[in-house]
Amino acid sequence: MLLSKTKTAIESIFPLEIKEADYARVGYHLEVILDAEKVVSLAKVMMAQGFYLEDVTAIDLNPDMEVIYHYAHTEGCCRVTGRAYTPRHAPEVPTIAGIYSGANWHERETHDFFGITFKDHPYLVPLLLPEDADFHPLVKEDGKVKQLKDIKRAEVKEQAGAPAAGEGKPAPAGGEKGEKA
Amino acid sequence: MSYFGEIYTGAVSLIAGLGVTGKALFQPTVTVQYPWETIDITPTFRGHIELVTDEETGNFKCICCGLCQLNCPSHCISIKSSKPEGAKKKALDSYMLNFTTCSLCGTCVEGCPADAIKFSDDYNLAGFSREEFYFDLVKRAREEK
Amino acid sequence: MKIERNLEEHSLYLNMGPQHPSTHGVLRVILKLDGEYIEEAEPVLGYIHRMHEKMGENRTYAQYLPNMGRVDYLSALSYNQCYVGAVERLTGIAPPPRAEYIRVITTELNRLSSHLLWFGAYVLDLGGFTPFLYSFDDREHILDLLESITGSRLTYCYFRFGGVSKDITDDFITGTRAFIKRLRMHLPMYETLVTKNVIFINRVKEVGIITPEAARRYGVTGPALRGSGIKYDVRKNEPYSIYPEVDFDIPVQDGCDALSRYIVRMLEMEQSMRIIEQALDKLPEGPVMAPKVPKKVKPPKGDCYFAVETARGDFGIYIVSDGTETAYRIKLRTPGFSNLSIFAEISRGTLLQDAISTMGSLDLVIPEIDR
Ligand code: SF4
Ligand code: SF4
Repeated sequence: MLLSKTKTAIESIFPLEIKEADYARVGYHLEVILDAEKVVSLAKVMMAQGFYLEDVTAIDLNPDMEVIYHYAHTEGCCRVTGRAYTPRHAPEVPTIAGIYSGANWHERETHDFFGITFKDHPYLVPLLLPEDADFHPLVKEDGKVKQLKDIKRAEVKEQAGAPAAGEGKPAPAGGEKGEKA
Repeated sequence: MSYFGEIYTGAVSLIAGLGVTGKALFQPTVTVQYPWETIDITPTFRGHIELVTDEETGNFKCICCGLCQLNCPSHCISIKSSKPEGAKKKALDSYMLNFTTCSLCGTCVEGCPADAIKFSDDYNLAGFSREEFYFDLVKRAREEK
Repeated sequence: MKIERNLEEHSLYLNMGPQHPSTHGVLRVILKLDGEYIEEAEPVLGYIHRMHEKMGENRTYAQYLPNMGRVDYLSALSYNQCYVGAVERLTGIAPPPRAEYIRVITTELNRLSSHLLWFGAYVLDLGGFTPFLYSFDDREHILDLLESITGSRLTYCYFRFGGVSKDITDDFITGTRAFIKRLRMHLPMYETLVTKNVIFINRVKEVGIITPEAARRYGVTGPALRGSGIKYDVRKNEPYSIYPEVDFDIPVQDGCDALSRYIVRMLEMEQSMRIIEQALDKLPEGPVMAPKVPKKVKPPKGDCYFAVETARGDFGIYIVSDGTETAYRIKLRTPGFSNLSIFAEISRGTLLQDAISTMGSLDLVIPEIDR
């Protein structure tokens, strides 16, 4: 119920970007792969659907860093993961702190760890690191950083029509529905 | 609520609280005067690790495989071993445990293929310097004997 | 968010912490005061930041296990459970039923001990010393029970991928039953002593109002959310382990204030006891470790999210594996982080003394917030 309602709502704005995931294996039902500028519109949809923001985080990848938004719902079981890509050398995504106030701290934390700039963030200074920190601990050394295809599930299929942002997008896992559909 | 009403409810809740405390006065003591009295340590207690000796031969069970050193998340074990002249197996020269960084997680004990280490029940550990907690377990085991 | 210092104004800037007894750890809150009223509050974090997420990228999956007990030392087993759950989901290892039951029994005991500590410490923050001693007396029994099977008293590292490290003993089972009987007898005493106390009620009632709408904007979870009338508990909403097989309720209060959060936690203790009793009754025989767990856990490429309900709320782990022995990325979503982030908003315009009761009612554990 909740899942299909959410799916329809997201689909109306992101028809190409939305994918269903295999809940039993990955722990979330829907995956939305976005351009960096669109994370705000996703946040708006999720807010309207009554979701709360679990966290904002990132993964250091070459050539594009992946910024991840986890949403969950309090009336049932539906988890949505939003992914956006931003160039590793100058990572920047818009802030969603205007919609989800809690994102303020999550984005500051992600800024600490990865050096990602959240555009228009009200107060983007180190939260967990010292005030004068000039390093980003979770940015990997050049030799260690991997590409997107190195961390995606084996059954990767090139999906026609997926937004251009790095290669090797995860395909929907066999079209299976999540457990609590 | 009226002024007197407040006084009344305040007094009732005060007396109720005092009642609980009063009852506790007549219950047996639950604390122990530590240095003079001690309580038993459970057999599963995790103290620092120690080497196990083989009952029959009197030697350490350790086969010097180095797995504990490899598995330890805090890198606090370092072993040195050598093969004495004419002996078939390697023998431990020293087994250094840096107890200051040990998190007592048990990874080393579980991963040991020869069951050669176990947790001791030694909890009375205090010292004046960091160096006192760099244990040589070989020496410690010999001293105990 | 940011407190601008304006020395012309007649405001008082007060640093609460980092060594303040009521922050229960090293948290600093900068308060801008107008008389006794808080104009702005800004929590400053990071005093006990240890970068657990980076450690996860440098250690093998098994070596990361002991870290979990140190993220939130008061409900270490929930964190253990979440981490092994995530790795099990990633690798497809299925723990045997007995292990799942043992996990739930010990985790619920841990939740009880966490709530008991919170109860004592909260009343202590508000100036009542005696209840603290009673609740620690009760908590001591849980620590003894858990020590007898896990070997540690606080930072447990008991669960393994595919099971638990050690089977529970008959002594533990009888001890647990005896303890539940004891705590059931003591809970009414807590009620007389604290819940019905006039001073206590005056300090917590209608203090620290979290509206359901604000709770959602900030991602508040756990008892703090249930005190705002939203019935959300990961154990029910997204059942894991054996929670679907036991019968328990989710206590909800809709006062939105510190008192509601207090009552939710007190009612939760009874529910935890119910879960433990049922799990002990149903405890199946059998092994406590899955038969074929590889010595070196090496999950396939891919990511996975796993969430559990800890004593403080929804804790989630997001693991990304690149097919090697160490994780490529481990994200810990801790409940306290989101719960504290609402503090600046809800303390605005309240009295300084109310800030203490608000903060205490959020049940903060600083190592978990700073990670
Ligand atoms: S108990 Fe853990 S930290 Fe201590 S030596 Fe063994 S493996 Fe290392
Ligand atoms: S794992 Fe056991 S046998 Fe191997 S070196 Fe360590 S103590 Fe010795």
